[in-house]
Amino acid sequence: MKMLKIAVMIKQVPDSQDISIDPVTKTLNRSMARNVVNPPDVNATEAALELKSKYGGEITVITMGPPMADTALLELMGRGADNGVLVTDRVFAGADTWPTAFTLASVADYLGGFDVIFCGEETTDSSTGHVGPGIAEFLGYEQATYVHKIEFQDGYFIVTRDIEGAEETIKVGKPAVITITLNANEPRNPTLKRKIEAYKKGIRLITNKELQLDPACVGLKGSPTIVKDMKTVPDPVKNPSKPGIEELDKVVSVLIEKGVVK
Amino acid sequence: MPDYDAIVVGAGNAGSAAAITMAQKGLSVLLVDRSDPPGAKNLSGGVLWGNDLARILPKWQSEAPLERFIQDKKIGFLTDKSSIIIDFKTKIFEENKVGYTVLRSKFDPWLAKKAREAGATVIPGITVESLAKKDGKIIGVEESGDIVTASVVILAEGINPRLCIEAGLRGPLQDWEVSVGVKEIIKLSPQKIEDRFNLSSSSGMASEYILGNLEELNVGAFFYTNKDSISLGIVAPMEQLRENGVTHTYDIIEQFKEHPSIAPLIDGGTVAEYGAHMIPEGGLEMVPKLYGDGYMIVGDSAGFGFSNGLVLQGMNYAFLSGILAGETAVEAKGKGDFSSDSLSMYRQKLENSYVLKDLKTFKDIRKVTNNKNMYTTYPKMLESILLEMLWERGQPKKKVRDILGSCAADLKMSKLKTATDFYYIYRRM
Repeated sequence: MKMLKIAVMIKQVPDSQDISIDPVTKTLNRSMARNVVNPPDVNATEAALELKSKYGGEITVITMGPPMADTALLELMGRGADNGVLVTDRVFAGADTWPTAFTLASVADYLGGFDVIFCGEETTDSSTGHVGPGIAEFLGYEQATYVHKIEFQDGYFIVTRDIEGAEETIKVGKPAVITITLNANEPRNPTLKRKIEAYKKGIRLITNKELQLDPACVGLKGSPTIVKDMKTVPDPVKNPSKPGIEELDKVVSVLIEKGVVK
Repeated sequence: MPDYDAIVVGAGNAGSAAAITMAQKGLSVLLVDRSDPPGAKNLSGGVLWGNDLARILPKWQSEAPLERFIQDKKIGFLTDKSSIIIDFKTKIFEENKVGYTVLRSKFDPWLAKKAREAGATVIPGITVESLAKKDGKIIGVEESGDIVTASVVILAEGINPRLCIEAGLRGPLQDWEVSVGVKEIIKLSPQKIEDRFNLSSSSGMASEYILGNLEELNVGAFFYTNKDSISLGIVAPMEQLRENGVTHTYDIIEQFKEHPSIAPLIDGGTVAEYGAHMIPEGGLEMVPKLYGDGYMIVGDSAGFGFSNGLVLQGMNYAFLSGILAGETAVEAKGKGDFSSDSLSMYRQKLENSYVLKDLKTFKDIRKVTNNKNMYTTYPKMLESILLEMLWERGQPKKKVRDILGSCAADLKMSKLKTATDFYYIYRRM
């Protein structure tokens, strides 16, 4: 059997634990936040590693971002991914989900295409869930979203999806884009030896010199989204008539009165 | 052939300094740190004296993420209602900028980056599980069942050196060897900081206090200005905290923040970060055997730090011990000999430097920092004397000698006891 050619599209995001809302400007304050791999992307990488260990394959982790995003790739190579590709160019900056999906799809194409591309279900810093399906559409791949279980049989991926309140098992053909849910699996830790190998191997840089994409279709210029406003939702007003623990007896008697409890 | 000439465990000041020293001289170096970015979890009070750093990074002042250079140094005592402070502000500090406030979560990743630039392989986000031994020699480190080997392992694990302890290179930490530091970073605008402390946009203030308002504990405190924040905290001996059993460090730091001379300084600020850390204060007695076949111990792991209650330093000892261990490894590589004998040069270098000289000179300093009178009676005595001298109450004035006598009596201190105390403090400080 031919080895599977696997890609994982990942993003470096500010650690959500360290983000606060500036009380004056009401915008997200990311200055104190360290950068981490978007959590579901770690699950996506683990899904790729599990697929590789069962069926054989080569895993390339790919991210589009600033040069410092290389640490996210090295981290995932430390967990077992074979190659890291950083797509970085000033013209790609400021991209919304449309040019992001377009650029990443172009990268996948530039690298000769893949049998399967994994993505996290969504990022913790934008929560759109657009990019995975977008890549599939641009490439004309089949797609399955919100997946937590994958088998590979007779050239098809048998995947189990989370649909609200239920599960759905479907079959998708190759090539496919599969987005993985947060906590779909238990990601293995990076090891010292693998990390050393990753740092030795280094990562491959791809800029628009290689991709030759129309600057009008990428980055901020290629982004149709316009953020009109950003609001902070006020804390819900506490109900002043909400009974405290000391009024438990009264609550119980009301419930008995209304026939809710006997 | 080992995988590396040297493996350094821990990217703090000592570890990164050692890695830079060795990599600059062409050794193959692996620097491993538990956090990513490397060193980002490190914590200390925050005043860095950079004389030693200049030896390996001559341009550190223009390149490092520094907060403010120390132009104003204060030391003093706080009692319940008073503060007695020596405010030393000098042009000399401004002309020789070597002391800076730093935020370690920014500074340490920068220093590790310098190690990478010098040629070391820097691996973040990995906690080494144990030291690999063969025939009684340390031959490398172990993680996830893999062994990575090196001619020498430099242990820069910080104050609680788990690997050293597990490998039997030093005993478990004892209460008397450490103090507990609790620190907060309080956000305050640069404008407010510069106005409140009479500073320029680049100058800063560092103060250290003895807290004379706590009956049972010998607690010191610090207060430093950063660019747009204040670093403040308290340092309490572990032994006394355990004996006392009721006073919590967070209560002490709250008391410090509420002190009438501190509260207005942080008014309007918001706590951005807090943390706690142990500090080596055991002096020469806590220093383990510093080297052996295939290893050296540097920085906090070796117990290198200095404290006399009013001066608290550790980062400079970390830099220098790291550099000296690095130099020793470079020489050992030249000789092709990483045996205990060859690495004993490290100890010799430390003996010739201020690291072990200071620890020897101040080997009795714990008798001062453990002296309860230093932290309760004498600050009160000082307060009483100053009240007598500086407060006009329509009473006849007294000579200093008589003030001293009546204060000592009020505080139930015999003149002889006071005199001998002062004599010993004078001799040991």
